Amino acid sequence: MVLAPVKAAEDVGWPEALPLLPHPAEIVIGIIAFGILYWIFSRKVVPRMEAMYEERAAAIEGGMAQAEQAQAEARAALEKYNAQLAEARTEANEIRESAREQGASIVAEMRSQAQSEASRITESAQRQVEAERQQAVVQLRQEVGSLSTSLASKIVGESLEDEVRQKGIVDRFLAELETGEVTPEKVAPAGRET
Amino acid sequence: MSLSVVPAHWLQGGLSAADEEGFQAPGIESFWWPLIGSDTSNWTLTRPAFVVMASVVIIGFFFLAVAGKLTVVPSKRQWVAEQAYGFVRNTIARDVIGAKDFRPFVPLLMTLFTLILFNNVMGILPFVQFPSMSRIAFPIVLTLIVYVVYHTVGLRRKHGVVGYLKSLVPPGLPVWLRPIMFFLEFLTYFIIRPLTLALRLFGNMLAGHLMLLVFILGGEYLLVHGSNLFVQASGILGLAFGIVMTFFELLVQFLQAFIFTLLSALYISDAVSEEH
Amino acid sequence: MNTAVVAEITGEITYLGYGLAAIGPGIGVGLIFAAYINGVARQPEARGMLQTIAFTGMALTEALAILGLVFVFVFQG
Repeated sequence: MVLAPVKAAEDVGWPEALPLLPHPAEIVIGIIAFGILYWIFSRKVVPRMEAMYEERAAAIEGGMAQAEQAQAEARAALEKYNAQLAEARTEANEIRESAREQGASIVAEMRSQAQSEASRITESAQRQVEAERQQAVVQLRQEVGSLSTSLASKIVGESLEDEVRQKGIVDRFLAELETGEVTPEKVAPAGRET
Repeated sequence: MSLSVVPAHWLQGGLSAADEEGFQAPGIESFWWPLIGSDTSNWTLTRPAFVVMASVVIIGFFFLAVAGKLTVVPSKRQWVAEQAYGFVRNTIARDVIGAKDFRPFVPLLMTLFTLILFNNVMGILPFVQFPSMSRIAFPIVLTLIVYVVYHTVGLRRKHGVVGYLKSLVPPGLPVWLRPIMFFLEFLTYFIIRPLTLALRLFGNMLAGHLMLLVFILGGEYLLVHGSNLFVQASGILGLAFGIVMTFFELLVQFLQAFIFTLLSALYISDAVSEEH
Repeated sequence: MNTAVVAEITGEITYLGYGLAAIGPGIGVGLIFAAYINGVARQPEARGMLQTIAFTGMALTEALAILGLVFVFVFQG
């Protein structure tokens, strides 16, 4: 590997010149190239980029404010929703409570109604029984009266024709019997004797 | 005036030499590639110069198109532009120079970064495959601009030439150390910094491209002119390794664009800062 | 006195010299980034400041290697 010895550029030309020797045309072109590019960057690109950066920062800040607002709105909505939920829950509780109360009162009402009905039924039954008993007593009294008078007239031989008198005697007798002034006499043995 | 796809001296020297004395390794002359003009003229339009002009057109149109219709919600193209812009603005300019003073230097750093990155990537882009920064003229131009900028800023911020020179020496040093320190700092600020800034970019691009040339031309030579199967297989290996190194070059190219811009920002921040 | 040429190496001695010269800066850059990684690992919040210092140091150290590269081309031939 033999490289040509260094010689002045004028002798052999640029191919074999010292590589540290700048070529004049290249220097000029380099300066022009740098100048054009620097002009483009300093006048056009960098100011616009910086403006865009500021705009973006503003946009991001605006976006952040917007996001905060949205967050606040969301929080408010959540609170509202929670409140509504609690409200609905208490309402449901109230409804349930009132329904329970209502049910209980209905049950109680029904019960009392049934009770009163029952008592009314028993009462009417009792009354009926009483009336029937009364009727039976009255009937019995009449029959006993007529029977005893006829029996007595047969025995006594005395006709007790007067209805009023007859009735009065029987009534008086029965009243006396009830009050205990007269102990009922045993009829049967006498009857048996006869 | 000749318009040539392959440089004329390759055709004259390279191929005939290859026939006679075997493989002609790629060298510095591989980086000379005139499009219009002669080999000796100082005003030849070279291929890297053409690539640089094309890159200005492409980068300029891209960013102008994006900046013309910027939206708060970025499109896909705007996102790409914003990535580059945000990287230079935030990671390089703001973090290094400081949030207070970085604004006026963003266009400068942005220009440096996009121009260097685009031209570096041209080194492995198919059909172009020439890193224009491997021609020393372009790194020198960029470095000169940075050099002028940071010294101007330093002179303005530190109240004239005397104040600026005084600020080179860090405070709180013993008297006998001050001249030595001043000499070292002066050397650093005025000679070493621009020299290394330009040569780092140039050297990395030159070496990287030369390495790719060696692997690919060498592999091709071994494959085509190899005398036996083993040599030809090693030629294929060389070509494959060339492809691997191409991806490594992509990393280096990005890193060099980043380091150039970062160091420019660093030098500017030194000039801007009040202390030191 | 016959000297037979067994193997001949032709080429630039400067390239060899540059290879040797690049060792030192290589080690130096490695040390700087090792320290940087250590520092960031210990104190991740100091990353920004350390990055600046690391790249300044790297620029200084690499300057030596780059000066070597210049001398390769200057002292060729």
